[in-house]
Amino acid sequence: MWPFTGSAPAAWLVLYLVTFALHVVFISYVLAGTGYALVQALRRKDDPIADRARDLLPFMLGLGITAGVAPLLFLQLLYQRQFYTANLLLGPRWGAVVPALIVGFYALYLAKATTMVRWRRLALATALVCFTFVAWSWSELHLVMQDQPAWRAMYAAGDRFYAQAGVLPRLLLWLGAMATLFATVAAWWAAAGDRRRLAVIALAGRLVSAIAVGLLVAGDAAVITAAHGWLYLLIAAIAIELAAWIWTWLAPGGAGVALVTGAGTAALLAGVVVREAPRLAAIEAPRTSAVEASGFWVFGLTALLGVALITWIVRAIRSAAPS
Amino acid sequence: MDPSPVPYFPVNEFGPLMKGLVIGGVGILHVFLAQFAIGGGMLLYYFERLGQRGTPDARTFVDSTFRILVLVSFVVGALTGVAMWFTTIQVGARTIGLMIDEFHWLWATEWVWFSIEISAGYAFYRFGPRLDDRTRLRLLAIYAGAAWMSLFWINGILAWQLTPGAWLDGGGLWAGFFNPSFWPSLLFRTAVATTLAALAACIVINTMDLPRERKAALIRRASRFAAPMAVMPLLAGWFVAVIPADSRQWLMGGSMPMTMFVGVAAGASTLIGGYVVVGLIFKRLYINGATATLLLALAFGATAAGEFVREGARKPYTVRGVLYSTSITPDEVAALRQHGATTHDPYPLRDEARYPTAQLVLGAKVHRTLCDACHTLHGANAIVELTRTWTDDQLRLNIAKLQRTKAFMPPFAGTARDVEAMVQLLRWEAADAPASWPTSEDPVTLAQIAKWLDEVGTSPGGAP
Repeated sequence: MWPFTGSAPAAWLVLYLVTFALHVVFISYVLAGTGYALVQALRRKDDPIADRARDLLPFMLGLGITAGVAPLLFLQLLYQRQFYTANLLLGPRWGAVVPALIVGFYALYLAKATTMVRWRRLALATALVCFTFVAWSWSELHLVMQDQPAWRAMYAAGDRFYAQAGVLPRLLLWLGAMATLFATVAAWWAAAGDRRRLAVIALAGRLVSAIAVGLLVAGDAAVITAAHGWLYLLIAAIAIELAAWIWTWLAPGGAGVALVTGAGTAALLAGVVVREAPRLAAIEAPRTSAVEASGFWVFGLTALLGVALITWIVRAIRSAAPS
Repeated sequence: MDPSPVPYFPVNEFGPLMKGLVIGGVGILHVFLAQFAIGGGMLLYYFERLGQRGTPDARTFVDSTFRILVLVSFVVGALTGVAMWFTTIQVGARTIGLMIDEFHWLWATEWVWFSIEISAGYAFYRFGPRLDDRTRLRLLAIYAGAAWMSLFWINGILAWQLTPGAWLDGGGLWAGFFNPSFWPSLLFRTAVATTLAALAACIVINTMDLPRERKAALIRRASRFAAPMAVMPLLAGWFVAVIPADSRQWLMGGSMPMTMFVGVAAGASTLIGGYVVVGLIFKRLYINGATATLLLALAFGATAAGEFVREGARKPYTVRGVLYSTSITPDEVAALRQHGATTHDPYPLRDEARYPTAQLVLGAKVHRTLCDACHTLHGANAIVELTRTWTDDQLRLNIAKLQRTKAFMPPFAGTARDVEAMVQLLRWEAADAPASWPTSEDPVTLAQIAKWLDEVGTSPGGAP
């Protein structure tokens, strides 16, 4: 089934999409979780979801960054010229995502460690600004990569910002999806009563994304492609997910969270394929040296070993004595 | 128009900083943190093992600030690793592209090990105090092993840049990965990692609330971890012996800046090694926090100098025999001698209005394409100042026969007109960029430059 066709570029594409989806889960928890914890800190509300989020955020950011390295690798195989050119056009402004992540990382630790509400708010607000900047930068980069006709003029003018109409709706689409994904992950740890709040966040997230899609369509952005049927899978998965969230809101102690997770996972995977579809035409003819590069079996065996070791680690910490 | 013989990317400048300084700054910080994270993991395992066998205070050390230092270093190490990727794109997009094309599955393998390292490290940091002894030890073993495996894979890719070895003769991926400088680099970096961990441990131990004699006992244990420093001169000698002959000559006096960096790295390492091996291990001296901090700072200096040596030794290539520091391959040099260095460059100058003639515009584009990777016009490694006292004909000759002028420079990849445009640009800049400037189009001069270009050919100046 497309895009899983077996050729070398297809293997890179599949690995790119799968690892990107994994990366999205973690960064969604980080960005939306930071926003949620900040809102609750501003409201001075005792909230177990916010407490847990503050506790987990540095760890989730570490996982998000680690998981992000893999799609970054495969992206450079698929769209090398576009990715490098967009990097160079945005230049130091793009490079600022790294210090922003470092500041955000330490701000999350401060938010976790401090007992002073004022410091906690400041730390969470700082982290939120940093992570939103990173999300905005990636939205820009994604669009610059595809806008080859604009490259020359952008370089000549020394523009470090790609102020096209599509950037903000695209960012909004992501922010909505991130809120829903945060709610999905957080629901597994939340008490039944708290799940209702998460259901509202998830539904609001989908609404925001829907509005953003509307804005993009109105602006003639190439966001809607059938993508060999993946779009229909995405729509179906979201429909089931929405129903499952409503069920969770009505019966928070029920099995709605499991259905939400299943449908949400399907929506995420279909979503990243649909997101990719408009730029597939830009995939470069694979370079011979890249196609002929050996070493896949080493990666495959190491990946199996990695899964086994990480599974053992997860099982080991589950056996840890309660704190 | 014929298709472009080379891919062109937009070029960014960093003011007075040459690009080598930008990537060097990020790289040194990354290498220092990442190597500490590797040695720190090994040290934590060693102390955990000691603690479980009854050595007093060893377990307290494992659960001390040191554990947090390791956590911080592997997270910031990861972030600066991403920064390295982005910075390398800024400096030499084709180089990183070539490395990824050739070694992407090994890079992906390295990523798996890094993921294991992060998982084990976080698990120990967060749950360590609540785990049983056997699980603690296993987690630390996984962390330390995965961190070292991450070094193992990335070291092969980096070492390949300087010594591709049999890969150049079609030996394939593994010939490139297990290249001549693979083992000396790997062992050297491992020794650096354990030394950094030992020095940082000495600082942390001094901050622990323990009587002096108990701190001294821990310091004696930690300082054993720096013992591999004793073999570093041998490993460095091995490394120097296997690198290309011309690179070796730069380090051994052929290029004084490179030789000085070698001297700084060797001198700082000797001082640290002497103090650790003689003072701490044989004489069993006590080291206070201030001295340990000083030694760690010295180690940072040695790491910085060593990284500059490693980067500089590759000149005139970024990948030996395959890609010059100009991001042009040897075959493409010959093509650009026919087409011109910038004929197919789609990107205009950002400050084109500044130049009074078309020839100076061409010169600025030639500088951007062929010189900007290692030089600035007026800042670090300023090409205007390097050539200010040369006569015009000397300048023409030296640029045309660039690989003979300095063998760590690549052959000039352009036409006689490109050489003359570059000469006029340097003269114009040296004259403080006046509003008008004559165009130099003397056919005799251009014919002489063309003759020099033909004479010198397109082969590199040093060993191929």
